[in-house]
Amino acid sequence: MFALTLKTALLEAWTARASFFTQVTFMIVNDLVFVAFWFLFFNRVGEVRGWDAARTLTLLAILATVTGIALGLCANARHLGEIISSNELDAVLPLPVDPLAYLLVRRIDTALLGDLVFGPALFLIFGEPTWERTTIYVLVSLCGAAVLISFLLMLGSLTFFMGGRGEQVELGFQAILILSAYPIDLFTGLTKVIMFTAVPAAFITGVPTRLVDDFSWSQAALLLTVTAASMLGARALFRAGLQRYRSGASWSRA
Amino acid sequence: MGPYLSAARSGARRALANPAELGVRVLFYIVVLVVLVALWGAAAEANGGEVAAYSFIALAWYLMVAEASVIGTKPRLIEQIGTDIGGGMVATEMLKPISVVSWRIASELGEAGARLLCAAVSGAVFITAVAGPPPHWGALGLALPSMLLAVTCIVVAQHLFGAISFWLGDAKSAWYLFQKLVFLTGGMLLPLQIFPPWLETLSWALPFWTMAYAPARLASGHLEPWILAGQLAWLAVLAVAAGIAFAAGERRLQVGGG
Repeated sequence: MFALTLKTALLEAWTARASFFTQVTFMIVNDLVFVAFWFLFFNRVGEVRGWDAARTLTLLAILATVTGIALGLCANARHLGEIISSNELDAVLPLPVDPLAYLLVRRIDTALLGDLVFGPALFLIFGEPTWERTTIYVLVSLCGAAVLISFLLMLGSLTFFMGGRGEQVELGFQAILILSAYPIDLFTGLTKVIMFTAVPAAFITGVPTRLVDDFSWSQAALLLTVTAASMLGARALFRAGLQRYRSGASWSRA
Repeated sequence: MGPYLSAARSGARRALANPAELGVRVLFYIVVLVVLVALWGAAAEANGGEVAAYSFIALAWYLMVAEASVIGTKPRLIEQIGTDIGGGMVATEMLKPISVVSWRIASELGEAGARLLCAAVSGAVFITAVAGPPPHWGALGLALPSMLLAVTCIVVAQHLFGAISFWLGDAKSAWYLFQKLVFLTGGMLLPLQIFPPWLETLSWALPFWTMAYAPARLASGHLEPWILAGQLAWLAVLAVAAGIAFAAGERRLQVGGG
C-alpha cells in the first residue's frame, strides 16, 4: 500500500518531465556551490580540528543523501504542522491505512530528489568508497534520515497541542539543517550539547561521518538507539496529538 | 512619491504585524551566526588568529552584517514575482496609475527594512557577547547606510531576475541562480579576499558584492568609504535595468494579454 502510494507520488512528479529535470538539475548545482565553498575554505585555511576537504565532503554526501530521503521522498515530514493546522488530516483519517505512514509517502519534493543523486555521487568521488565504507554510508544515511524525519514529525505534532501554523517546524528544520552541514568538532559547550539532544544534528551527519571514517560498535549502538527512540517518540507524539485533533470538516488532498 | 512611501509603510507594517514569522527569522539568523562564528573561530585558531588579514573579531562582525543584509530580504521573492507575473497579479497592478516595479520595490523595501532592523540589533548584541565590540566604530557607522544600500540592491536585483518570468513564465531557475551568486560571489559566507585571484576578480566585476560583502567589509573594521560609492553606482545600474525589463515585460503582457 505504502509502496504504491510512493510510486504514485513519484509518477506525479515524473509526469511534468521538463520541470522534474530542471528542478533536479538546479538542486545539484545548488549542492555544487557548497562543494566549491568547502574547497575555497580549506584551500585558504587548511585542516581545521581534524577536518579537511575530503572528510567534510563525506559529511556533505551523507547530508545530501539524508535530505534526499527525508525531504525528497517523504516531503510531508516538513509540512505536518501546516497539514494539521489547515485540517488536511481530514482527508487522511478515514482511509484504512496508518495515517502517519501514508502522509509521509504521499508527496515527494522533486527538487530534493536531486540530493539523492548528488549525495551518492559525491560519496563515490570523495568518500574513498570501499565495500565496508559504502555499506556503512548507506546504513548511517538511512539512520540519519529516520532521525531527521522523526524530529520534523515531533515538531509538526506539537501543532496539535500549541495551535499555530507549524512555525516551529520551519525554525527546527533550518536549525538542524545548518547544524548538520558543518563538521561537528567545530562546536563546543552548549551548542554541542544541543546538537546531541534538543536539535539532534549530531545524529544526522556528525556521528554518521565518524562511523564511516572510523567505525566503532559503541557509536553504532548509540546511533541505532537514538534512531529507534526518535521513531518511537515521533509516533507516540503524533498519536497523542491525534487524540486532541478536531475535524475541520475540510475535505482536501493531503 | 506618495503611493511609494505608502507602499513602503504598509510593507513595514506587514513585517511587524507577523511577529511569529519575524521571530522565526531572527532565531534562524542567530543559529546561522552560532554556526558560522564556530567555523571561522576554529579557522582563525588554526591560522594563528587571523585568516586573509581578518582577525576573529573582524570575521565575526563581517558575518553578522553579511547575513543580516541577506536575511532582511525575502529569500524566495524572485519566485514570488514569477508567480505574480504568471498568475496575472502584475497585469492587474498595471491598471493602477503608478510604476508597477517601483511600487513593488517600495513595498518590499519597507518589509525588508523592518526585518533588517530586528536582525541587525539582535545580531549586534549576539556578536558583541561572543566575540567582542566592533573593531572600528567609524567603519561600523559607514556600515549602517551600506546595509540599507545592500538590501536595496538585493530587492532591485530580485525584481530584475524575477522579470524573466515575463518571457519564461516561471522564475524558479532565476531564483536558484541569484541565490548562489549572492552566496558565493556576493561574499555572504566568505570574504572576497579568501578567493583565488580569478574568482576575486570575477566577483568584483559582478554586482553581487554590493549585497553582502560591502557592508560586511565596513563592519569588519575597514574604513573604505568608496564602497558606498560603488554600491550607489551598481544600484543605479540595477534600477535602470529592472525598470527596462519590467517596461518591456509589461508591453509584452499588453500585446499578448495578461
